[in-house]
Amino acid sequence: MTRVLSPVGGRVVGLAGVPDPVFAQAMVGPGTAVDPAREPGRAIAPVSGKIVKMHPHAYVVVDDEGHGVLVHLGIDTVQLKGEGFELLAAEGDRVTAGQPLVAWDPAAVEAGGRSPICAVVALDAPAEALSDVVEAGSVVQGAELFVWS
Amino acid sequence: MDKAEAIVAALGGADNIIEIEPCATRLRTQVKDGDAVNEPALKAAGAFGVMRQGTVVQVVVGPEADTIATDIEDILD
Repeated sequence: MTRVLSPVGGRVVGLAGVPDPVFAQAMVGPGTAVDPAREPGRAIAPVSGKIVKMHPHAYVVVDDEGHGVLVHLGIDTVQLKGEGFELLAAEGDRVTAGQPLVAWDPAAVEAGGRSPICAVVALDAPAEALSDVVEAGSVVQGAELFVWS
Repeated sequence: MDKAEAIVAALGGADNIIEIEPCATRLRTQVKDGDAVNEPALKAAGAFGVMRQGTVVQVVVGPEADTIATDIEDILD
């Protein structure tokens, strides 16, 4: 069982609240999403495990059960080509849940005309594998967003 | 045919692809002729979904997008 933590603090909007069909339609997996507080912050690892993908604007951590969790910081942020994102860890690193992985500023992403909403996705999971999924309300960084069994 | 080859074929072949760029979850491609893109074939090649706006085609392949894009660029070169 994997407890998946919120990489950022803010307001939970659910995957349906992500202004991007790939996430909103759960094409890469079920999960939820958080509209982050508009202040510079450091997004954290949602689970303990190994970083298998590390982009400036997105990362995947796979835990010891083989559960891969994708955190995508903002929408269409690949277009920023890393500008405004500072990597605090590298692909291949082992990290613990709660460890800061990327420093960024959601307000700057929004000022550039993009949504800073962060999708947190259970990659390749069937929807029924998730329970206690938070879909609304405010959330503090590191609070549990869902459980993956 | 491996995944990269199958995706290139489904996008209308190497000659139809102007640009391909990986994102965390998808391949963002620009093609010459949008009608030459075969959506069922993309899904058969392993795409979770396909989004099209004219000649811009986004192929949702999951976090392996960067690896697949590298393989596709090898085919295109």
